[in-house]
Amino acid sequence: MSHLKFYLTFSIIAFSTFCFSQGADTAGVVRKSSDLMLSYNSSVIYPGARLGIEFPVKTIYLTKINRSGKERDFVKDRFITTNLSWYHHPAFHDNLYFTAGWTMRRTKAKGFFTEFSPEVGLSRTFLGGTTYQVDNSGNVTRKKLAGYYYALASVGGGIGYDYSKTKQKPFLIFSKFNLLMMFPYNSTVYLRPAVEIGLIYRPIDFLSLKVKSKNINR
Amino acid sequence: MNRIITVVFMLFALASCQKEEISIGTNVSDTFYLDNNGASMRLLVEGNTSSKTFLIFVHGGPGTSSFLYNTDYISQNIENKYAVVYWDQRNAGASQGNSNGDQLNLPQMTEDLKKAIQLIKYRYGEDSGIFILGHSFGGLLTASFMTAGDNQSLVKGWIFADGSHNYPLNDTLTRQKLLTVGQQQIDLKRNVSSWKTIVEYCNNHTGNFTFEESVQLESYATDAETYFHKVKKVNLATLIDVNPIKYDWPITSILLNLKYSSGSSFNRDLAKTEFSSVLGRVTTPTLLLCGKYDFICPQGLDEDVFNRINTKDKKIAISLISGHDIMWQDESFFCNEVNAFIGQHK
Repeated sequence: MSHLKFYLTFSIIAFSTFCFSQGADTAGVVRKSSDLMLSYNSSVIYPGARLGIEFPVKTIYLTKINRSGKERDFVKDRFITTNLSWYHHPAFHDNLYFTAGWTMRRTKAKGFFTEFSPEVGLSRTFLGGTTYQVDNSGNVTRKKLAGYYYALASVGGGIGYDYSKTKQKPFLIFSKFNLLMMFPYNSTVYLRPAVEIGLIYRPIDFLSLKVKSKNINR
Repeated sequence: MNRIITVVFMLFALASCQKEEISIGTNVSDTFYLDNNGASMRLLVEGNTSSKTFLIFVHGGPGTSSFLYNTDYISQNIENKYAVVYWDQRNAGASQGNSNGDQLNLPQMTEDLKKAIQLIKYRYGEDSGIFILGHSFGGLLTASFMTAGDNQSLVKGWIFADGSHNYPLNDTLTRQKLLTVGQQQIDLKRNVSSWKTIVEYCNNHTGNFTFEESVQLESYATDAETYFHKVKKVNLATLIDVNPIKYDWPITSILLNLKYSSGSSFNRDLAKTEFSSVLGRVTTPTLLLCGKYDFICPQGLDEDVFNRINTKDKKIAISLISGHDIMWQDESFFCNEVNAFIGQHK
């Protein structure tokens, strides 16, 4: 019986704490434009490019009060992204890959943000040289558009600056490190680091979507 | 939509440099690929293609890349005279493919080598003179090639550099050399604790080696040459340190292919493979290069090849300062011997 009392008391306290902490929260649905992304996508020295769209899914406006009583505001954005990317590695391959991903971005009031984005997709490589086939009689033919399809997964993390926060400009700049994993590559996996430096443009109304929006005060 | 896809594909086809470029000159660098049974294997031809003489490096491993053999020294001392072909075997280096592990076996690789030679002749002329150079595992692959059908008619010379053509014999010779040299070094009080471990292992494992014993012997053999100061230290890290950016090395592909191939189950089949019994078929001029301090593929293997091949055009050349990697550990000796051999038989 004493156990039951304890659990009951604990549950009431925990539930009421949760309720009070959310007391000032508001939630709703807003219409937000999708973003356009363009970046230089390289493995440090090899060129490449990346073009993408970020579809907004959710925005959380978060106000935290730290122990000294100071308020800190953040915005947490969630996007579904689609990207078409390419890099060129001379004499090895060109890689064209299409990915869909989930981007989590956390922006401070002054505009600086960090983000993390896992992606999955499909890659098509084009070998970095003329490709031949030789039959058993020794006859040689050229193989056009030689290359391979691979399943692709990537994880990336980066930093950036959102000019809309302080300068009311509709764009963001960012730099991001991605690790690509392609498989099955020679019955194993191929790993490739890639560095992105790019620009995200946020039009006033481009493929606008209804987005869950929430204000949380803690 | 279809038009957009077509345009995109055309753009990337152009960007990927797949148009045929066959360069004839004294300082050429051509990259192309051989697509065969699930693998697209990179071939890099560098140097003097106008000489119409091609030296194909058949790298070791399995899974080591031919990128490693493309040193400045070889560029300056062999490529200036002849064209050198750096061929990445399947599942090695810059070679690419999907699920092709089932095709990673010696008969398939022997066929790949034959087709690589046919491709060189197709590109640079049927009158091109081809020499093949097998290093380490490349020795086994070239031995397989030279003893199959009439393959040797495609080449003017066979160079066997710290190679192995008989893995069971290789294990026996490695053990013998480790024991003999190990005991001498212990008597001389040099690296005593390391040599004692090796000698003890060899005394406890006397023959009919399992795959695991074979791997352990190779590991001790790899360590053994590092106990001699006159032998230049060579390892993957030191080789990768040489201009990977200048030569556009796909480093992760090189490393991951090496990891896959060296751990592949087909290595167990190789452990039982030998070509001593069929070497009598070889009538092609042959140069056998070995390092005095090579414990991995000891000199006895070269002597076995020398005694069994059916040609009078044969020579064994021993580097007195080299271990298992003669082309990196005694570069001038290696290049001089190779150039002299090719010059004599081209």
